[in-house]
Amino acid sequence: MNENENKFENVRRLLKLKRHEVPPPGYFNNFSGQVISRIRAGEAGNAGSLTERLNVQAPWLVNLLHLFEAKPGVIGAFAISLCLLLAVGVMVAERSDAPPEDLMAFSKSAPLAGNPLLSGVTPEVAQAESGGIAVSTNPVISLQPMTAFFGQPNQNPLLVQQASFAR
Amino acid sequence: MDSNTPAGMLEADLVRKARRGDLNAYDELVKRYQERIYATIYHMTSNHEDANDLAQESFIKAFQALNSFKGGSTFYTWLYRIAVNKTINFLKQRKKRQHMSLNDIDFNAEHDPDLVALISDKTPFRNAGLSELQKFLNEALLKLSEPHRMVVVLHDVQGQSHEEIAEIMGCNIGTVRSRLFYARQQLQGYLSEYAKPA
Repeated sequence: MNENENKFENVRRLLKLKRHEVPPPGYFNNFSGQVISRIRAGEAGNAGSLTERLNVQAPWLVNLLHLFEAKPGVIGAFAISLCLLLAVGVMVAERSDAPPEDLMAFSKSAPLAGNPLLSGVTPEVAQAESGGIAVSTNPVISLQPMTAFFGQPNQNPLLVQQASFAR
Repeated sequence: MDSNTPAGMLEADLVRKARRGDLNAYDELVKRYQERIYATIYHMTSNHEDANDLAQESFIKAFQALNSFKGGSTFYTWLYRIAVNKTINFLKQRKKRQHMSLNDIDFNAEHDPDLVALISDKTPFRNAGLSELQKFLNEALLKLSEPHRMVVVLHDVQGQSHEEIAEIMGCNIGTVRSRLFYARQQLQGYLSEYAKPA
């Protein structure tokens, strides 16, 4: 081994020069501080890195968000479609809130035969309807005939009696 | 030195505290080894900026992996292993882009008897400055493969023993010796004009 050491003595001498290569003055004064700052930043990042968690849990959402990056046209189109959807939703909600009397009026005025809404109504029901059966506030229920099992019309409608606890 | 302050603590105590998330303790560990870790990476890359990034990343990775440190070796050896692996991976990736960004040579180099002898001998360096010598040397080192360069840097520049290098690089001592021999031989060839056998 000593022979090898001697053989490469000049190489070893040359390599000693590397020990004299030093970083800029004061470089190591800040080094540990930078490392600790990066560790702190990493910890904070790990705790709250929403993007990283989303990447794992909901990649489709991340892809969707990426669509909006620097694409004002797409953002605008998305906003307009959202507004339209909202407007349609409000309109539909208003219609469904319409009073039931209106619907009843509509059902009375419209001919039953040609009315697609009432096309499934049986003649008996139509007759009962024209006979002036008292209807509840629910027009749909009012159109349901009182039927027994197996589709036979109920011949014995329920009798309503007042409950009395007096002996 | 006060043993209650991080600076006065034993390495094992600092590691224990750092493992519990004590950043003051880890700061002290960084301060203890920053120069050696940086120097090793710098001598491998011949680039100050790369060495800075890699050294910082090595310390950060070591902190994140502290729980996996079982104490089978010293923290210092374990940290070195992280830095060495990180550096070798980095060098493999940047193979085609070897840009040197060399540090300055300190004032003491001019008084180093070995270097003075090299320059004052009848060699091509008698008219060359130390900075030129530095450039030639770094270019020659970059021609070595990463494992060979690492062994030369750890042994001939950093002064580590064969045993320590074997532990750091995860190989046996025979491999370290053969790599060292081959690397020196290569370097002698690259620097034949300047480093003739004695």
